[in-house]
Amino acid sequence: MASAIELHNVTRRFGDMVAVSNLSFQVQSGEIFGLLGPNGAGKTTTVNLITGLLRRHGGEVSVLGFDPQVEPRQVRQRIGLVPQETNLYADLSAVDNLWHHAALYCADLSAVQERIQQLLQLMRLWERRRDRVGTYSGGMKRRLALARALLHDPEIILFDEPTLGVDVQGRHALWEHIKAQQAQGKTFIVSTNDMMEADALCDRLVIVDHGQAMALDSPEHLKSDLRRDIVTLRTTPAIQAPESVFSGLGIEEVTHVPPDQLRLEVSNAERIAGELVARVAAAHRLESIRIARPSLDDVFLHYTGRALRE
Amino acid sequence: MKRFGLLLLNEFKLARTALPVHLVAIFQPMLMYLLMTEVLVFATFDMYVMQPTTGEGRALVAAMREVGSPIGLPYINPILVAQEDMAQLETTAPRQIITVESRDGVPTAVQRFGLIDSNQVKNLRNRLTAAALRLWNEALGDAAVTVEEHPWLPIDVPYTVYFGLAMLPMATFVGAVFIGGILTAQDFEFRTIEEFRLAPIAPIWILAARLVRLVLSAFLSAGAMLLALGWQTGYWPDSLWRVGLILLPVAIVGGSLGMIIGLAYRRSIPSLLTGLIAAIGGWILGGAFGLVAGFGVLYQEISRLTPHAYAIELLFPRYYGTQVGNPLSAILALALFGVSLPALVFLAYRWRVLRQE
Repeated sequence: MASAIELHNVTRRFGDMVAVSNLSFQVQSGEIFGLLGPNGAGKTTTVNLITGLLRRHGGEVSVLGFDPQVEPRQVRQRIGLVPQETNLYADLSAVDNLWHHAALYCADLSAVQERIQQLLQLMRLWERRRDRVGTYSGGMKRRLALARALLHDPEIILFDEPTLGVDVQGRHALWEHIKAQQAQGKTFIVSTNDMMEADALCDRLVIVDHGQAMALDSPEHLKSDLRRDIVTLRTTPAIQAPESVFSGLGIEEVTHVPPDQLRLEVSNAERIAGELVARVAAAHRLESIRIARPSLDDVFLHYTGRALRE
Repeated sequence: MKRFGLLLLNEFKLARTALPVHLVAIFQPMLMYLLMTEVLVFATFDMYVMQPTTGEGRALVAAMREVGSPIGLPYINPILVAQEDMAQLETTAPRQIITVESRDGVPTAVQRFGLIDSNQVKNLRNRLTAAALRLWNEALGDAAVTVEEHPWLPIDVPYTVYFGLAMLPMATFVGAVFIGGILTAQDFEFRTIEEFRLAPIAPIWILAARLVRLVLSAFLSAGAMLLALGWQTGYWPDSLWRVGLILLPVAIVGGSLGMIIGLAYRRSIPSLLTGLIAAIGGWILGGAFGLVAGFGVLYQEISRLTPHAYAIELLFPRYYGTQVGNPLSAILALALFGVSLPALVFLAYRWRVLRQE
């Protein structure tokens, strides 16, 4: 499978702050690739470096063989961007918004009318095509923004926070649309900090923090690579000194989850489950115990830590 | 060309995003003109005069009716008031009341003024003096000193015509600068500027479409103003296409400046306010109240920085039949304005929108 996008040791600074540092990854044609990271991790900067809106201070970027810094027009003909904040003309209709995009992005206008109809039908917006976009729900606006990004038939779509502010039905509909477009050969880069979304959508993803790639693989591999089970305990009273209670059981990480839960990471939970329960029951009443395989949330926290990001 | 047509069509659709601004930009100058002509100085003044009871009084009223401009417009319209109505009129008369009284046996025209400024007092006094002069000259016979007026222009036209003429470039400018400012600033506020930033089309087409649309909006405003001027005064330009050609660079300058303002501020309200200041400034400094040649040197020099002054010089013959100033230099100046401002827009657009940060 050919690479649609390649980043090699890309660096970007804003003054003294390094937003992206030696970031490298490849996105294969036809895959949905996730950029996962906490707020301020450098996701949007990375997207802007790919589109050529930002200049890099080091490294190389290639989009379908073109350098966005040197050949921005070549790149922009081949990409579609759905920004985080939906940027539609609220006082215009869906059709007018799409025609506006067509004038800017479509060199050949002959097929635009038909394509607008196809895309609006696909996104289930055809019935509301003449209504002011300002009257649309958040999910409808995101679907329209995706339709707009697809209008000029780009090979790559960069989707920043696809379902931010969209209800559950809306997000599943949007994911279906993205998957459907992938089936037609489109490549997606999805920037998100929604683990469920990344898990549901992405073939592969890179976890970015402080502008650096912390991990890169498929969601399944990332989860299995963690090689840890998550044991969540709730006791009365709360266990005050878990390190001494569970010493010798191979617990790799202990986290207090207020108000009364304890989260343990352990390499093979089934093996120690009996002993673990016995030790807890000796001095506490065990209210509940849950053993789970790691989720993408766990992977994410493993690589990015728990500190709040502003 | 089809794509440019679509860009242009989209530009007009964007009117829906700022409808009130469009209405103000297109119709406000015309409405302002119609309202202002109600308070402007007209050739003929109404003057209330108490019904004369003496021969001198009747002679003065007759003389008042005779004084006027060389083309025959009367300066005074004497309105005779009965003595019993005087008391009420003294409190309600808008300007002044004239009575002819005897002071030590000498007939005296007495003016009692209402709430008017000193300039109006002078104006009324001059007109009454002109009427009195006719009586004196009749009495002086061969020793009379007459005052003759020889206008420079072949036609004498009301001031409302010049005032409206001077508002044509202003209306054109407003129609472009307001709309250009708000449409450009709104693209930043709506974040639709991202659409333009990533568009693979050459920016010159985007800017050209917006500028053409702004020029057409400006012509709508100018057209409304031209109709108001003609309807109010009965004066129409001798050549519409020449007026259009003269106003074209003004529209280009207004539209370009509006876009530059929008690109600079990226916010609607500051863009509108700056556009308003530019519109009023250009209007007043460019000869709003009279040809710049009739004002001081400093004013004349400042006025040369506005396209309005040159446009008025070129519009003048279209209404008055006489050339003022140097038409060639005015044409060159307007051409320079009309070329340099769009070039500045292009640079500003590259800097504020397309620059890779």
